Amino acid sequence: MAFNFNWSPLTADAEFYKRAQELLTNALNKSPKPPIIVDDILVTEFNLGSVPPDLEILEIGDLAEDRFRGIFKMCYSGDAFLTLRTRVQANPLNTYLSAKPTFTSPQPLAAAAGLTIPLSITLSEIKLSAFIILVFSKQKGITIVFRNDPLESLKVSSTFDSIQFVREYLQRTIEGQLRNLMMDELPAIIHKLSLRLWCPDQIPRDEDIVKENVENEAVVDPFANPPVEAVDSYGHVLDANEIASLSLDNGSGAQSLFSQKNMLRLAALTDSHRTLSLFTPGIRNAMFRAWAGPTERHETGASTPIVAPTLYRMPSAQGSSTIYTFTDASSMDQGSLPSRPSLVSLNSSASGLGLGAGKHSRSFRKKKTRVVNLRRPKTESETSSDAGDTVSDTVSVTAPISEPILPTSIPEEVEEETALPQAADRVRFGGDKKSTFIRAPLNMDICKEPIATSRAHATLPADESKVPSSNMEQSKPAGSDTSSVILEQAWIMKMADEIARRVYDEKQRNEKLWEERDDTPPPAYQPTQ
Amino acid sequence: MREFMDYIQSAFYGATGWNRDNSYSTLNATSDALLHFATPRGLRLTLSSLATPHFATAYQLGTVGIVDGSISYLYSTVPLDYHAVAQSEKIPLPELLQSYSPLAELGRRNRIKGARQDVLAYGRLYLPMSMLEALMVKRISPTLQMQVSAVSDQTLRNGGTVLGMVQYDEGRYGIEGLASSDGGLMGIRGLYNFGGDVAGSASPNGIQDVENGTNAPERERIYGRFSAGGELYYGTLNKSGGMSLGTRFATLPSHKGTPLTATMTVNPLMGTLSWTYAVMAGRNCSLGTKMDFNVYSYESAWSVGMELWRKKGAWTVDADIDGDADVTSGAQTNPLPQRSFQAKMEWRMDDDPLPFLHTPDLSPAVVPHVASEPTAKQRTFRAKLDWRKNHEEEDEDLYSGVLKARLDHHWRIGLLWEGRVKSLLFSLGSGIDLRRPDSPFRTLGLEVQFSSS
Repeated sequence: MAFNFNWSPLTADAEFYKRAQELLTNALNKSPKPPIIVDDILVTEFNLGSVPPDLEILEIGDLAEDRFRGIFKMCYSGDAFLTLRTRVQANPLNTYLSAKPTFTSPQPLAAAAGLTIPLSITLSEIKLSAFIILVFSKQKGITIVFRNDPLESLKVSSTFDSIQFVREYLQRTIEGQLRNLMMDELPAIIHKLSLRLWCPDQIPRDEDIVKENVENEAVVDPFANPPVEAVDSYGHVLDANEIASLSLDNGSGAQSLFSQKNMLRLAALTDSHRTLSLFTPGIRNAMFRAWAGPTERHETGASTPIVAPTLYRMPSAQGSSTIYTFTDASSMDQGSLPSRPSLVSLNSSASGLGLGAGKHSRSFRKKKTRVVNLRRPKTESETSSDAGDTVSDTVSVTAPISEPILPTSIPEEVEEETALPQAADRVRFGGDKKSTFIRAPLNMDICKEPIATSRAHATLPADESKVPSSNMEQSKPAGSDTSSVILEQAWIMKMADEIARRVYDEKQRNEKLWEERDDTPPPAYQPTQ
Repeated sequence: MREFMDYIQSAFYGATGWNRDNSYSTLNATSDALLHFATPRGLRLTLSSLATPHFATAYQLGTVGIVDGSISYLYSTVPLDYHAVAQSEKIPLPELLQSYSPLAELGRRNRIKGARQDVLAYGRLYLPMSMLEALMVKRISPTLQMQVSAVSDQTLRNGGTVLGMVQYDEGRYGIEGLASSDGGLMGIRGLYNFGGDVAGSASPNGIQDVENGTNAPERERIYGRFSAGGELYYGTLNKSGGMSLGTRFATLPSHKGTPLTATMTVNPLMGTLSWTYAVMAGRNCSLGTKMDFNVYSYESAWSVGMELWRKKGAWTVDADIDGDADVTSGAQTNPLPQRSFQAKMEWRMDDDPLPFLHTPDLSPAVVPHVASEPTAKQRTFRAKLDWRKNHEEEDEDLYSGVLKARLDHHWRIGLLWEGRVKSLLFSLGSGIDLRRPDSPFRTLGLEVQFSSS
């Protein structure tokens, strides 16, 4: 996967600079100015330079034709510059007095006489380093949130460079103002720009597409939560592509996989979990469990970050071409980890795709099952595995812990022998009745064992003898992603991030406590149907 | 309009014999009164009282969209009722309304310096924003005074600021040192007087000697005092500073000609030059101008101001004619020997001796002051002052109001009409911007003040 960012076309568009200057001027004059600035701030020159910023993709939370959400790390040390012109108060005593109550003012006679000086300031050598949450939606434009203070350093050159203390004062004042601009105003500017760019051409484009998407539109249920929407729209598009590769599959199966009815039920189910509602919708061929399974977040650190175990899902992702990663607070949490598991997960997904392509060609199964984790804070992953075909849809960017096992053999095992540990981890329901009953009934013992092994493997390799099958794969997702509501409002994510980080810290502190609790997943139960 | 508490505070300075004018910070006081008077905003009501000779209260309620108010208390160890008339129906308007005020004679002031360590304490609480102002003035010695003012407010950094000031007034020169908790600002400013009465006061006999001197006629042409001073500030925390120099020439009350005040201030750091000129053009009219110029930025500014007093008798044509006749006859028949006696008094008496001579007969409105005269006369030199004050009241009680106007280079006009209706003092003001013809009235306000004792 590669992105091609084109930096120069921005500079080629003369209109762009004019608009950007206008917006910057408005933004700079909006917030109350420090008393030293006595006139409006005019942006006279603005150039983005020729050196593009370095963008590192940390995580892509949502990717679709008309939406995108991701977290980037941006470093910039280019040759962009910005020239401002304004008038400043050169008498420090004047600015000092302006903010003071008159009652305690020393009331100088003429020492506070003002001297306003036209000033042009050039900001250059801007060094930025920021974590950016970027949310793009065709309807709402681009929303950008900085998760940290992006401004690293900045060179302010002005008319007063020769006067040391004025220069320092200006540097300080401008840095503060610019921080404010970056954190608060720049997102608004970009949002406005993007609206101007996207909204005009979105409207005609929509009309063109409407006919194509009629079917798609019909599927979209306003009551469904956003993930459902994402599934439908994306699934639809890829259905067309699938025809060649998935010709052996029955198309209807793929459609039923995403049946609106089921999704509504799932939505109701998650809602009932989140609230105190006692209503539990009946979903056929599904097992319910109080929580989906241990999510050993603490184990991610202990285990080697191995890409492989996820791979068995990725083929499915490739096969059905359905990828969803629903990120919510917990995923953000992952992003903030020092080890950057999310980054790892990204790699895994990429390699998984490659591997899946190879696997897909040889795998033909008829049945599809989906594993849906309904627990929000737990580890996510929607897996639809096809019992007949190996086309198991997994939508997950996970960094599983556990032993480093080669992925190639995984698909079969997942479906058959090693289904149990996985079942312990998550609730499954199948599109076909057959798939669920293939598996042995779940019980506590079975559930515990894989978990124990995984722990043992990390700590005490000698205990492996207890494990029924040494080759057992157990995918313990690192919990880097969770199916959840897509939060378009990125600032909500920001807040959630804080909460999650705190939770994570807490968890780190009493690791053992959590471990023990996670060791015993609750018994499964089956709803009466 | 001066606030009641400010008026009472100046009474404290009067009672303790402290000369507020002998400070560099008040170098421009005369022109500021003419050019930078504050126009009220919104509606404001003040109830105040000098409840006991030592204690004063004031309650203020105002509204500019939102209702706010303040409560203030003042305590003084000196009885203030001799030096301030608290009743709003009797307050001398010129004293309250900041007219062109001439300099006081230094020689006279020095004699009444008390040795007591008088203290004034003042506090004011602004209610909705719960801002607290506090002021304490302590007279340490006849020539030394300490003053501490503080503001406590949540919105301020560190929750408040304190300004301490030590003032030393030797008559010929005055020095102030100040320190503020805000930014660690330190400052010193001083004023040195020469010429005029100061030159004469070196001799033991003081003013009288000068007045009887040989070059008295010369002085009658132009007789005033030069003052020169400077100020220097340095913020120890923010490493910034400021300074200015200034000179002033002002005629003294004993000057027979037109009273005038001219100042020039220079800020050498910022290159700002400023000139002011204020003149008492007539009995009822004062004019002031100010011009600023910056040698670095070539920025300039000017403003002109005017003050026009309205006589109480002017409501009827007859009284007006009488008044005019009195003025002219008084000016002609004023004998020279009286000058030396009156030289001790304010220039106003010198200039217009007639009202105090004739108005008790003329106007029945001043009967209460006549009644208070006998008690005043029983006192010693301080009584002289009071007696003089009482007569000033009679003189100034002729006025029913004053109209102030100013115009600056931005074509902004400030208008203020202040006066007395029955026992209420009112102040009606407006700010007008001529460059905005669509909505010229920028501010509009009415202040009403009632005070009792």
